[in-house]
Amino acid sequence: MMHVIIGGGAAGITAAREIRGWQPDAQIVMICADEQVHSRCMLHKYLSHERTAEELDFTEEGFFDKNRIVQIHDRVVSVDTEKKEVSLASERQIAYDRLLIATGADSVIPPVGDLRKAENVFGLRHLSDAQKIDRMAETSDEILIIGAGLVGLDAAYGLLERGKKVTVVEMAPRILPVQLDEHGAKAYQELFEKAGVTFRLGCRAQNAACGADNRIHSVELDSGETIACDMIIVAAGVRPSSGFLENSGIKSERGIEVTSRMETNVKDVYAAGDVTGLSGIWPNAMKQGKMAARNMCGIKPGPGVDTEYTDTFAAKNTINFFGLETLCLGALQPEEGDEVLVEEDMHIYRRAILREGKVRGILLQGDISNSGIWQYIIKNEIDVSGKGKNLFRLTFADYFGTGERGKYVWTF
Amino acid sequence: MRRIIVEYEKCDGCKNCSVACMQAHRKTPGTVYDLDLTNPENESRNFIYQAADGTYRPIFCRHCDEPECVLSCMSGALKKDPDSGLVTYDENRCGSCFMCVMNCPFGVLKPDRVTKTKVIKCDFCARDGGEPNCVKSCPKGAIHVEEV
Repeated sequence: MMHVIIGGGAAGITAAREIRGWQPDAQIVMICADEQVHSRCMLHKYLSHERTAEELDFTEEGFFDKNRIVQIHDRVVSVDTEKKEVSLASERQIAYDRLLIATGADSVIPPVGDLRKAENVFGLRHLSDAQKIDRMAETSDEILIIGAGLVGLDAAYGLLERGKKVTVVEMAPRILPVQLDEHGAKAYQELFEKAGVTFRLGCRAQNAACGADNRIHSVELDSGETIACDMIIVAAGVRPSSGFLENSGIKSERGIEVTSRMETNVKDVYAAGDVTGLSGIWPNAMKQGKMAARNMCGIKPGPGVDTEYTDTFAAKNTINFFGLETLCLGALQPEEGDEVLVEEDMHIYRRAILREGKVRGILLQGDISNSGIWQYIIKNEIDVSGKGKNLFRLTFADYFGTGERGKYVWTF
Repeated sequence: MRRIIVEYEKCDGCKNCSVACMQAHRKTPGTVYDLDLTNPENESRNFIYQAADGTYRPIFCRHCDEPECVLSCMSGALKKDPDSGLVTYDENRCGSCFMCVMNCPFGVLKPDRVTKTKVIKCDFCARDGGEPNCVKSCPKGAIHVEEV
């Protein structure tokens, strides 16, 4: 059996490990455009010089040798699902019995001014992006970041550590608008401002023209203000990286369409991770990779062995900047008729949105100790009423049960 | 693999296990008699919570068969050891994203109180030969180690 995996991110690596676990004798080939395995969630630590490129690797030492995975560093240009082979940029063809597409996503650079053609504009998605930013940072003082989501703030954090003057422009009226409410966002805004960042909220880049050196030296905002910059980082979202599938017959709209077994519409072709557009969250990508691998190996579901990606809850995130940590789950904005519970002191902010005894969303900031229960409560729509205690004091003790071999089991 | 089996009916909430855990993981030398319980650096990896009826529930890391924490780790710090079955944590690799805290369905994990850069996680007292001190310290026999 020849398993070919395109992509070496969370989904691809997890799938390769899982396949090896089930099939000791199968051949596994991983085709990867990146030069080396790296965790995208740690690119800011590369920018800040806290970690080297090697220290971004999230696989154990000797992972490829130990699991007998053949790595090919190349770009896939097309997939022929009739012949069951993929073509590489080097004009080499690789035949497969089972194919996993786990190519992730790429940064979207909006068509504003010359953003797409200037040579001092970067996304922050791959190690190669971080390396380009790092090189240009050597000769740049003023950095403009477009987007105050997690990636934008990661970039801001990394470059602040390098002593750069950072300005962040965000369309929404607050930073981290997808994750946080006004109160939660304000706490991070103050920390970033204290560290030297200037925010321009509620406005967008309107024009940006290249100079003769093919670089953008200033960006005009819709507020009329002009911001000077030596380098621009665009953190305005991503798009599934599936351009090479054109004419392959593999169905892709806002991501490759998959079943709960991670099968595409074409037999023996699977997809997992951000390329499916199902979720941009690391744990979800790992789980998708795992389920894809099991189906690629023909594993049948049984006790303790799931083969379907059913744990699809993706409205979840944790944030940790400057030692202030946050957990955000589920709905962010209350709807009419929802109950909102808030608890707050100098260091801590907690907010829950409830409806008919069920938690629709929760935000915990400043202390997220033992908060793992909340994802379970929200995604399983557990009724939390009638426990006779403050909602924020609930623990697993309130749902405690044990099962075979000493496992814990939720009881409700 | 070995797991700490919990018989909550026997637990009387004395928290000897939590103190033993703090003592086992303290950074300074000394005995349990000079363990500084007010120093936020001394943290327990296990938790005794009271249920609504006043009885106690010991919440200890399961070193799960399919660990959700490992399946959320973006740095490779958390791993399921195929030989021992233990879920191990390498704080030097940890990227401090705390996705594992979010993903543990039983709420066992937490960020460290002082630096907020590490995760407080049961290591089965590897430093003491892999015999958990919490178990040794329980006067009620509410927790014991079993091959499962």
